[in-house]
Amino acid sequence: MVAIDPTLLNIILIGLSGTLICLAVHFIPVGGAPAAMAQATGIGTGTVELAAGSGLVGLITASYMYAYEPLADIPLVMAAGAMGSMVMLASTMLAGGFIYAYGVAVPFASAQVKKDPITGERQDIYVSKGTQGQGIPTICFVSGVVGAALGGAGGGLIYFVLMEIYKPLIAVASAVAVAGVFTMGVMYVNSVIPSYGVGGTIEGVHDPKFRRVVGKDVITSFFVSILCGVLAVLIAGGMV
Amino acid sequence: MVLDLTMSMAILALMGALATIAGCLEDLESDVGSQSNPNSQVQLAPQMGFLHRIFNKAISGEPISNGLSAVTGGTVTTVLLSAKFYPLTAIVIGAFIAAIIYGIFATTSYAGRVASQTRFKQPLYMDIMRYTTPSIIGHNFIVNFCLVAIAYIQFEVLGYPFTIPFLALIWGISVGAIGSSVGDVHYGGEREFQNREFGCGLNTALSGRIVRKAESGLRNSIDNVWFCAKFGGPATGIGLGLTVFFSSWPTTLFGYTWKAIGVGVIIVAVMVVMNRLVEINVKNAYGPYKEEKNEPEVKA
Repeated sequence: MVAIDPTLLNIILIGLSGTLICLAVHFIPVGGAPAAMAQATGIGTGTVELAAGSGLVGLITASYMYAYEPLADIPLVMAAGAMGSMVMLASTMLAGGFIYAYGVAVPFASAQVKKDPITGERQDIYVSKGTQGQGIPTICFVSGVVGAALGGAGGGLIYFVLMEIYKPLIAVASAVAVAGVFTMGVMYVNSVIPSYGVGGTIEGVHDPKFRRVVGKDVITSFFVSILCGVLAVLIAGGMV
Repeated sequence: MVLDLTMSMAILALMGALATIAGCLEDLESDVGSQSNPNSQVQLAPQMGFLHRIFNKAISGEPISNGLSAVTGGTVTTVLLSAKFYPLTAIVIGAFIAAIIYGIFATTSYAGRVASQTRFKQPLYMDIMRYTTPSIIGHNFIVNFCLVAIAYIQFEVLGYPFTIPFLALIWGISVGAIGSSVGDVHYGGEREFQNREFGCGLNTALSGRIVRKAESGLRNSIDNVWFCAKFGGPATGIGLGLTVFFSSWPTTLFGYTWKAIGVGVIIVAVMVVMNRLVEINVKNAYGPYKEEKNEPEVKA
């Protein structure tokens, strides 16, 4: 097996984790401002806010796992991040669903597919006039949970890699601070990139927009994240 | 710090309760100040000829403004703690200073936004600013207090690696994201457009045509928060409370193992099923919008 230089490996891992976060955003049903007025399917807020919000909860759970399980390897820290993000997004979508269902009184419907790919239920007849669907149907909920898992896992991976770089160089408390802030930065960068591709709103994996933009966004994100990785390694030079 | 199971669960319950209050009050603060996505309608109304008496702040997106507020509170608290202040006093003072700064942003933002609408003849009501701003500061103070208290518990008691300001920042961003996703729908989807039949959906053509008359007199933001406190705010509180509680509950009970991760996945699966049950319930209760026209296709 060809040995890879550890520094190069770290940069590639950060690139891959950034790409995971970018991919994750495409899965999350983000409806933007129209969804906040029940005029579009999905969660009623912006891509960046939601992806970062859920990813950061994942960062808290991943960092706790890293700090208190001495034997925690990369998969376990990534899984902890994924769990935190999934719980945050599922709680948000469930509570949001209560409002759509009983506060605004609209049935959940996707405007992008005629039938829900999971439940097989008709969607078009439940879309109210003059809207692009409303609420969070099952396919959107499941897609969002999968997206949150990918985003949280990506955040956990960056944190793990950065801690492995910084921990030997500076005090642990300082390493945690730098790694945490840097992870947050990479999350924001990779939440913004898909916003341009999806144009602010996407329903999830079943949305035709998903296939149209995901390839380009992921490639862009990989290169931008590699740049972030290079910076992460470069700033370690000042820690010695 | 490692606590025994009973104490860990008690701490977790306290954090869940604080998060529920924070989530609820965050949403109500965004309603009384009119922020985030629904504020686009408040902003648009004068351009459509609908002048109103609703506060219009939108300092920024909710996650960012709440993150700023919480991190300010967390930083002041940390400074006071290092000066040997009693923790509760430090958290209260930190939250209060952050809320005052938030109030300054709210007033400048309201004045600035209304000033930019001069050409649409939207007046800047000084009485609205005078009695809505203290309400914004009050709501924000409670949010900051709860979030900084959660951050304090996580850092000092549970031994999380991140510091109090960073944890407060993360929870501030999260509470904003949840408030923006959950409670805002009640404000934007229902309260702003009560002049249509309940449950008929919201046609895009209605954009900007917000309701301006209250149950008595002209509607203002205090009327809006009164309405949203009945459902939007508590639902947001449930969202953040569930997040804080269930993101830590599996590891508290099962340690830092794959078993805990599995339990977390099961919790999420239960939420998927609950959402599906709500979906079935509302579809049965309300029925489709275009039933007759599409009925043959259903049979086919």
